[in-house]
Amino acid sequence: MTGATRAPRRVLVLCCPDWPAIPAAPVLGPVPALGPEPEQGPGPDARAFEQVVATVEEFCPKVEVLRPGTCAIGVRGPARYFGGESELARKIAAAVRKIGFSGQVGVADGLFAAELAARLGGPPGSAGLIVPQGGAPAFLAGQPVAELGIPELGYLLPRLGITTLGEFAALPAVEAANRFGTQGVLAHRLASGLDPRPLAPRPPSVDLSAAREFDPPVEQSEPVVFAAKSLADQMHARLAAGGLACVRVQVQVHSADGRQMTRFWRHDGLLSGLAVAERVRWQLDGWRPGRSADGEGPGPGAAAGGITLLRLIPDQLVRAVGRQLGLWGDAVVSDRVARAAVRVQAMLGHGAVTRPVLAGGRSPAEQVLLVPFGDAGVPERPADRPWPGSIPAPAPAAIYPVPLPARVTDDSGEAVSVTGRAQVSAPPAWISAAGVPARAITSWAGPWPLTERWWDPARARRQARFQLVTDDGSAWLAVVQDGRWLVEASYD
Amino acid sequence: MPEDAVLPGQDILPVLPALQGLLPAAGLQRGQVVTTDGGGLLCLALAAGASVAGAWCAAVGLPSLGVRAAVDAGLDHDRLLLIADPGGTWPQVVAALLDGCDIVLLRPPDRPSAQLRRKLEATARRHGSVLLVAGEWAGAQTRLLVASREWAGIGAGHGRLRACRVQVVAEGRGAGTRPRAAWLWLPGPDGSVAPVADPVSPDQASPRLALASSAPAGSAPAGSAPAGTGPAGTGPAGTGLVSTG
Repeated sequence: MTGATRAPRRVLVLCCPDWPAIPAAPVLGPVPALGPEPEQGPGPDARAFEQVVATVEEFCPKVEVLRPGTCAIGVRGPARYFGGESELARKIAAAVRKIGFSGQVGVADGLFAAELAARLGGPPGSAGLIVPQGGAPAFLAGQPVAELGIPELGYLLPRLGITTLGEFAALPAVEAANRFGTQGVLAHRLASGLDPRPLAPRPPSVDLSAAREFDPPVEQSEPVVFAAKSLADQMHARLAAGGLACVRVQVQVHSADGRQMTRFWRHDGLLSGLAVAERVRWQLDGWRPGRSADGEGPGPGAAAGGITLLRLIPDQLVRAVGRQLGLWGDAVVSDRVARAAVRVQAMLGHGAVTRPVLAGGRSPAEQVLLVPFGDAGVPERPADRPWPGSIPAPAPAAIYPVPLPARVTDDSGEAVSVTGRAQVSAPPAWISAAGVPARAITSWAGPWPLTERWWDPARARRQARFQLVTDDGSAWLAVVQDGRWLVEASYD
Repeated sequence: MPEDAVLPGQDILPVLPALQGLLPAAGLQRGQVVTTDGGGLLCLALAAGASVAGAWCAAVGLPSLGVRAAVDAGLDHDRLLLIADPGGTWPQVVAALLDGCDIVLLRPPDRPSAQLRRKLEATARRHGSVLLVAGEWAGAQTRLLVASREWAGIGAGHGRLRACRVQVVAEGRGAGTRPRAAWLWLPGPDGSVAPVADPVSPDQASPRLALASSAPAGSAPAGSAPAGTGPAGTGPAGTGLVSTG
């Protein structure tokens, strides 16, 4: 789709500089810090930007929101209609200014050049910076490599004597690939004025959801589940008409007593109408209290006011490209297990059912990553690296999610401490953890000092670790951190 | 038993070879309830044999389950579901999982009533799955408990935990009335579960020592210095070994 020779399409980018601080004054240029306080609450940036997107949508229905504060449109059609690119840019900038925001417009071949042009802005008084057709490489050539937005390259390239995008683009593409891998290829394409990916427009804000009201409210699940199947079919038909699929489907249920329950279900474009209906049934089952233990038939407390509305909303739209299951790798989850797991997720929430993935790390708690059932989890710390300093096998059988504060004393009752040079003040003789009465320590090993990630203050860690065996035969893994003893794990 | 069960047509789920002697049927009978004391390694090891054979396990109410230890014991983490906090609806959660998984490990958050217990036992029987309870369960067919344990490889300020010799006692109802006992390495030096070869002399510590002492044959008493791990091994005993070789 993005062949090396193919010129990228003309793109217009509208960029509101310093977005989160919303300027009220309709002026271009540097934004004064005197604007009104941004409204509070979750995602105010994104919500306020909706107004800007709606304004731009009046010019071109297919707007791609790059992030709050920046959006893009394909410029070819609208420019012809509105009388040229500069005229379109001027009109959009004026419309945005009219609703009380300041925005800069850039037009160029390809998204990267257009965004850069929008950020730089045109000469004072003009609507924006318009890079003529075919002029993107020349425009980019003078820009610093930091504009690539790839920190590694922004750091490395100047050290290799390459300071501008033009110099980077002058390197053969093969060399960029050899030296910097996939990321280098992408950066090289950007620097040469080529598009790394086609514009994926935000679909016009058509309501793709499907809803059914129930009047009078229904008490039983059955009619709701029955309606859910036809609603799901409706929703799938609308998605298919747009060539879309959804990653998740949101199921909203309103009850007559005013309560509302919302749940997201993984969809991946794979669920049939019947399967969606089945999830609605699980959700209703999980919602209603007082059910019998084996989950058959509603219990006496089922009549929780009746259900008035059911709505299915597709979430995270993606292009429908079909999906194929992995040929090998994942353990195949049989239908029966998946059914049980999803039923429990309906009762407790998506994150309550997890599958463990082995990860790397030096403490036992770091060596396992819990991934919600149905999600794919890739540990950021691979397990197959050496991890020097990790506790040798055997691994502890119980790892406390929150380490237990403990008190460890020597024979005379003094608290045992560890110096910066990993010297123990006295042999540990007694331990009491989380309110448990003191137990005698029969054997112990340590301290094994551990200093991790000193370069990252947020995650840095300095501790000394001990293995302790108490007189009842149990073995423990304890750490001293900041002068306090914590029991991290138990070995039996 | 549903036709797409992972191990169809088997009334008995396999267990690790080291544990076979403890169970009357040399395995976990489908539809039964088995208890262990505490949610420790014994509980995980019991599920490991079936997991190796392809069974799915779910662990309910065990937020501190040591996955690495379970994997070392033989459990397949790809076929393990964790429900760390089932909350007040745990009976429904367990019932749903008994339908889907072959083994459900459970630490009940509260003491179940007799009626609830019977209901879950019936669910397990109907779906042909095994309920492994870490803790008390009055109607359990088999009870396993750790009678004594002793860690090897660690001293007073030196060495490290290497392996644990454990005596496991099993008692049961009906066919399993005769109490059975076994000495196990739980865990062994690599985290696996193995029978103790020579249960009579409990104080001659670690299994690595047993391997090492087989080589120098006659010079047995020197072997008690071993721990080979810490500063203890660098003393005069170490030089003695060099001179004999």
